[in-house]
Amino acid sequence: MKNSRSYVILVVLIATAFGFSKYQDLQYPDYFPVPEYNFDNNRLSDEGIELGRNLFYDPILSRDNSVSCASCHSPYNAFAHTDHDLSHGIDDQIGTRNAPALFNLAWQKSFMWDGAINHLDMQALAPISHSGEMDESIQNVVLKLQQKERYLHLFKEAFGDTPISGAHVLKALSQFQLTLISANSKYDKVKHGSDLFNEQENKGYALFKANCNSCHTEPLFSNYSFANNGLIVDTTLNDFGKYAITKQSKDSLLFKVPSLRNLKFSSPYMHDGRFRRLNEVLNHYTSEIINTETLDPQFEQSIALSSNDKADLMAFLQTLNDTDFVFDPKHQFPLNKSKNPKE
Amino acid sequence: MKHCCILILFLISFTSQSQNDPELIQINPLFNNEHLELNKPYFLASVNDSIKIETLKFFISNVQFFQDEKLIDSLSKKQHLIDLEKEKSLQIEMSRSNRLRYNMIKFSVGIDSITNVSGVFGGDLDPTNGMYWTWQSGYVNFKLEGKSEACSARNNFFQYHLGGYQAPYKTISNIELKVSQQNLIVINFKIDAFLNGIDLAKSHSVMSPNDTAVALSKRFQKIITIGDEK
Ligand code: HEC
Ligand code: HEC
Repeated sequence: MKNSRSYVILVVLIATAFGFSKYQDLQYPDYFPVPEYNFDNNRLSDEGIELGRNLFYDPILSRDNSVSCASCHSPYNAFAHTDHDLSHGIDDQIGTRNAPALFNLAWQKSFMWDGAINHLDMQALAPISHSGEMDESIQNVVLKLQQKERYLHLFKEAFGDTPISGAHVLKALSQFQLTLISANSKYDKVKHGSDLFNEQENKGYALFKANCNSCHTEPLFSNYSFANNGLIVDTTLNDFGKYAITKQSKDSLLFKVPSLRNLKFSSPYMHDGRFRRLNEVLNHYTSEIINTETLDPQFEQSIALSSNDKADLMAFLQTLNDTDFVFDPKHQFPLNKSKNPKE
Repeated sequence: MKHCCILILFLISFTSQSQNDPELIQINPLFNNEHLELNKPYFLASVNDSIKIETLKFFISNVQFFQDEKLIDSLSKKQHLIDLEKEKSLQIEMSRSNRLRYNMIKFSVGIDSITNVSGVFGGDLDPTNGMYWTWQSGYVNFKLEGKSEACSARNNFFQYHLGGYQAPYKTISNIELKVSQQNLIVINFKIDAFLNGIDLAKSHSVMSPNDTAVALSKRFQKIITIGDEK
């Protein structure tokens, strides 16, 4: 007893001396800005991340154990929902918005297409409680988890010997999602100096900087602000974006600027998934902008791109696809857990 | 030697305890001047009908003590969830030295905007307490639910979930009350006065930050008073 205690103290002393700790820092390139997420309130640990990953892939978070976060946010689609313009939830209900890709969330200031959620920790409450998504309550999720030996163990590893709380569930989900960092595309390799753009990509990069970078700002390829990019309102949905939250007319039709990383994996595009292909998006920007009260001033003069320009821009956008991120086994279904994921 | 130390420690703790009576803030929800009980019928004069309260939950935060406008002390626990279903939650312990003199107490009903944007917290703020909106970020500051024949909603059910931390729907309400130095501060919440004048037939559900939530939150300044020491 006495021995083991002094051993622990010794390990702690050595760990502090060498700057090791149970906690880990987020790994990201030095040309990324400082994250928005405040890690002081939720220190990342291997155990916390692993717990979050288990929760993310577990349909236990839904009412009838049928839908997990990954049902709508698949790793192979950069955590978006491919083949569905609008998301698809419990009892085959169709939502009103396209499930966005999830990566580089630590840099995001607000969440959802309209900014309804102000913090990553709080985001998961929305799908868990939504009657058309997972139709569960966080209270009941906690009760269900408390009955699973495996989760009692995982929570203890991550948060110590306290009862499972709603805050723990949300913090663990944040921890896993914060590790979803996309920073290994060709663009990143060029930034690091280990690769070069070809001529077409270079031309595309110049066009990008002239026409797109003000909103889809590098290196994250979004400034995470809200803008009206001239999409015509889908009258079957009547989604006015940020207006729904602030009820101020200046916010009508403003949607969060999505990142342009990983577009190859995250089709369809826009808040309602109206475009399946990138050339449709480019055609939108060159010839289909709808002028409404809140249209971003940048679009008052239409963007002129020749078909060569479009091909160049497309070539540049391809350099933002990060295959290493999409196929990173660390982000995928945790195979070490029980064989039957529904168990 | 060791035993001697323990004895001294014991004596110190014993004597200091007997000097400091437990100091408490007792939250006292009232209906028609009686202590409010859940699910009990009361008469609400302003709608001329009977009424039952099924849920009363709210946050008290940032409790501070002042002497002639000078801040003397504040409670270290910042947010307290008061839930009429849990009698114990109506008592807030004041772990402070009672040698301090004060003649005013200030606190807020609701959660401040910094806390609202700082992610998830456990304890009284844990999302399992049912005081956090799910589809749009923000705490519910105050939740009052019940039934009355006068209410035209389904099952005569009314629900006031007041919250909102961003302009123009900022709903946190700051309260100042003159108090005399005492070991038990009773704070009345006159729920009949809160409901007074609300047309239950029309305005029975407030479920998100909006103008009505702001207007109703202004009522707290009138319905909260210092009670008698019991
Ligand atoms: C039924 C499909 C569905 C499920 C299940 C689902 N989501 Fe989503 N998710 C969406 C949709 C749709 C949006 C966009 C919602 C909006 O803008 O209103 C979204 C948005 C998000 C966002 C915000 C991303 C951004 O860029 O703003 C995060 C983070 C997220 N989901 C994480 C999760 C987690 C964690 C879970 C599991 C607890 C989950 N989702 C379950 C469909 C789903
Ligand atoms: C004024 C800001 C602004 C500018 C400039 C801008 N965009 Fe966008 N972009 C947006 C917004 C806002 C959205 C989301 C709109 C929605 O879903 O309602 C968007 C969406 C997109 C999407 C869909 C991404 C997804 O995951 O759904 C693509 C692709 C895109 N833009 C490419 C471009 C390109 C290429 C340019 C330059 C030619 C450009 N954008 C210029 C604001 C802008």
